[in-house]
Amino acid sequence: MIADWSHEVVLAATILSWFIIGAGLAQTTIYLLQLVVAGYALSKRPPVARSALLWQRYGDVAPPIALLVPAYNEALNVVESVHSMLALEYPNFEVVVINDGSKDDTLQRLIEAFRLVKFQRPYEEALAHQPIRGLYSSPMTERLFVVDKENGGKADAQNAGINVCRAPLFCVIDGDSILEPDALMRAAQPFIDDPERTIAVGGTIRIANGSRIEAGRVREIHLPRRLLPLFQVVEYLRAFLMARLAWSSINTLMLVSGAFGMFRRAEAVAVGGFTKGSMGEDLDIVIKLHRHMRDKGRKYRIQFIPEPVCWTEAPETLSVLARQRSRWQRGALECFFRYRSMLFNPRYGRVGFLGFGHILIVDVLGPVAEVLGYILIPAFWLLGILSAEYLLAFTALIFTYGVCVSVCSLILEEAELQRFPRARDLAVLTVAAVIENFGYRQLNNFWRVKGWWQFLRGNQGWGEMTRTGLGGAGKK
Amino acid sequence: MWYIWDLSILLSALSLVIMLFLIARRLLQERRARAAADQRRQLLTALIAFTENRDREALKATVLGVPAGVVIDAGFEFISLLRGEERDDALVAFIECGLPDRVGRQLRKGNVAERIHAAEMLAALGSEDASASLLTALTQDRSREVRIAAAIALCDLGSLPLLGTALDFIGVAGQRSRRLIELFRRFPRSRFNELAVHASRVDASPFIRAAAIDALAHAGGFGFADFFANLAGDAAPEVVAASVRALGLTGHAEAPAILKRAMANDDWDVRAAAAESAGRLGLPELAAPLSRLMDDEFWTVRYAAANALRSFGQPGERLLREIASAEVSRSQRTASLILAEGPAL
Repeated sequence: MIADWSHEVVLAATILSWFIIGAGLAQTTIYLLQLVVAGYALSKRPPVARSALLWQRYGDVAPPIALLVPAYNEALNVVESVHSMLALEYPNFEVVVINDGSKDDTLQRLIEAFRLVKFQRPYEEALAHQPIRGLYSSPMTERLFVVDKENGGKADAQNAGINVCRAPLFCVIDGDSILEPDALMRAAQPFIDDPERTIAVGGTIRIANGSRIEAGRVREIHLPRRLLPLFQVVEYLRAFLMARLAWSSINTLMLVSGAFGMFRRAEAVAVGGFTKGSMGEDLDIVIKLHRHMRDKGRKYRIQFIPEPVCWTEAPETLSVLARQRSRWQRGALECFFRYRSMLFNPRYGRVGFLGFGHILIVDVLGPVAEVLGYILIPAFWLLGILSAEYLLAFTALIFTYGVCVSVCSLILEEAELQRFPRARDLAVLTVAAVIENFGYRQLNNFWRVKGWWQFLRGNQGWGEMTRTGLGGAGKK
Repeated sequence: MWYIWDLSILLSALSLVIMLFLIARRLLQERRARAAADQRRQLLTALIAFTENRDREALKATVLGVPAGVVIDAGFEFISLLRGEERDDALVAFIECGLPDRVGRQLRKGNVAERIHAAEMLAALGSEDASASLLTALTQDRSREVRIAAAIALCDLGSLPLLGTALDFIGVAGQRSRRLIELFRRFPRSRFNELAVHASRVDASPFIRAAAIDALAHAGGFGFADFFANLAGDAAPEVVAASVRALGLTGHAEAPAILKRAMANDDWDVRAAAAESAGRLGLPELAAPLSRLMDDEFWTVRYAAANALRSFGQPGERLLREIASAEVSRSQRTASLILAEGPAL
C-alpha cells in the first residue's frame, strides 16, 4: 500500500517537474531563437547614416508628426522636457502636452514658462475621453499646444491628444522621458521608405540613471551607479535589442513601448485609440492594430528600429520596481485574455500562432512555472522524489541558459550597435548580465506571480511610481 | 537530462569568451577612435582656414595627410554648410586630391549607408566619371535605397536615364518610397513631359503617379493645368486627389465644374482635396456644395470645407455664421468650431 502511494507521488512529481522543465525549455528555446533571428536581422540591417546626413536626405519628404506627451503631476520636469522636445531635429512637428488633470501645478508651470494663452482649435471627436477644460497655445512657438483635461489616465490623455492633433503620424512619449535630437527623424524613416504599409514604429528605450543630463539632453552616457538600475539596463537590452528586433523582422511585433512609439493616426483612430483603463495600453493598441489590419486583409508593417533612442528613468528601489513589474504582468495578462480569440487562430496567421504563442509561454505560463520550479524541484530532490538530473536540468534553465541569453544580448549590442561608450562599461555589464541571474531574476518572477494574483483579484491600480527625476529632485 | 546541463554550460561559457574578445576589440577601437578624432579636428581646422584664406594648396596638403574615410565623412559634412564660390573651390581641392576615385570605390564596396552617402558625394563632386559610377549603382546595386540615391544624384547631374527605365531599375518595392517625391521634385523643366507621361500611365502605381502630379504642380505651373484637368477623371482616387490638389495650385477655366464633381466623389480624400482647392482658388460659386460637405461623415472633409468657406472672406463667414446658428447638426458644430478657432475671448 505504502509502496503504491509513494509510486504515485513520484509519478506526480515527475509529471509536475516535466511541466516546469518543459515550460522552461520552451521559454529558453524562444529566447535562443530570438537571439538567432535578431542577430540575423541586425547583420542584414544597413548601417545607419549619421544624423547630420538625415536632415539633408529626408528633410523635404518627412511627414508631419504630432508628439503627444501625457503629463500627470509632472510639475518637476515638464518645462524642461517640453523645451527639449521643442528642440528636436525634425522639420515638421508639433508638441501636444496633455495635462491629465494633474493635482500639482503642472499646467501653471507650463503657462508661465511658455506664456500660454487659451486657444480654440477645432478637432475631430473621433475618440472618447474625459472632457477637455481648455486648449492653450504659445505665442513663443507655434509648435506647442497644451490640452488641459479632466483626469482619465494615460490612455485617456493619449486619446485626447490623438483627437486634437492634426498630423498624419503621432508619436507617444512619456512626459519624463528624453528623446535623442534625431529620434523623430530616425523613427520616421520607415514611414518615408514604405509609407503605404508602415502603420507603427517603435524605438529603443534606454535607461538614463547615472548619465549626465543637462537642459533636457543626455550629455554623457554612463552606466547607473546602483545595482538595480544596472540590472535593468541588461534587461532592456534583452527586451529591445533581442526580442523586439526578432519579432519585428517577421512582422509579429506585439509591443511598441508606450514610452516611445510612432503610429499612423488613421489606423489608431480606426481601432478606437488606446484602451482606457488598460494596464498595458501599449501592448493593447498594437494587438488591436494587428487584428484590424488582418481583419481588413490589408498589407502592413509594425516595425521596431533600434536607432531612435528615448531615455527614461528606471526605478531604483525594490518596492517601486516591484509595483512596475506587477503592473506590466497584469497588462500582459489583461491583453492576452481580452484578445484570447486570436490565440492559435489561423485567421491571424503568425500573429495568432507566434505572437500570441510567445505571450502564452513567456508571460502567461512562464513566471508561474518558474516560481513553482524554485519551490518544488529542490523540495522534491531533497525529499528524494526526484533524481539529481532533474535538479540540474532545472538549474541549467534558470541560471546558465540565463547567463548565456543575457550575455548574447550584450554581444549583439556590441557587435552591431556599440552604444556604450567605454570598454569598461561592457565589462561592468557583462558582470551584471551574469549576476542578475542569481537573485534578481527570481525576484522578478515573484513580482510577476504577484501580478498574476492581482490580476485574478481584479486589482486595477497603477500603484505609486516614485521617481527621483532625470533632473535630480524627487517627485511622485 | 544531462545534455540540458552540458549544453547550457557550454553555451554560457562560449558567450562569455566571445564577450571578453569583444571587450578587447573595443579597447583597440577606442585607441583608433581617438586618432580619428584628432585627424577630423585637423581637417576641420584646415577647412575653416581655407574659407578665410582660400589657400587651396594648404588644404590639399591636409586632405592628403588624413585618411580618405575621414575626408569623406567630415569633409563633406563641412562642405554641405558652404555655398557658392567657397564651396566650389573646396570641391576643386577635393577633386584634385583624387577624392572622386575613393568615393567611387566606396560606392562599389562600402556598406549600404556608405554607398548612399557616396552617391550623394559624387553628385556634389560632379567629376567626369561620376555619372558612369552612379549609373552602374542605379542598374546593379542590390539595395533599393542605394538605387534611389543614385537616381537622385544622376538627376542632379542631369544624367538620369528615361524615367520609366530609371523606375524599372529602382524596382517595384522601391516605388513605394517617399524618396521618389524628392527625385521628381528635382526633375529639370526640360524633362517634365516624362513626369507627365508617367503620371498618365494607368499601369503605374497610384502612389508614383500622384507623386509625379504633385511635382508637376509645384514646379510645372499653369502649363500643365489641362493635363491635371484630364487626370481629375482618372479611376484611381489617389491620382484624382493629387490632380484636384494640383488644380488648386494652377487654376483652370473648368476648375469649378471639376471641383464640384470631385466634391461628390466616393473617396473622402478626393472630397477633402476638392474643398481645399476650392478655398485656395477662391471660388464662391462652390459655396453650396461646400456647405453640403460640412455635413460629410469625415472630419477632414468637413474641416476642409469649412476652411474653404472661411477663405472666401465676408460672404463665406456670413454663410458659416448662418450654419452655426441653425439647428444642432454636424454642419452646425463644424461651423461653430471653425468660427471659434483662434485665441479664446
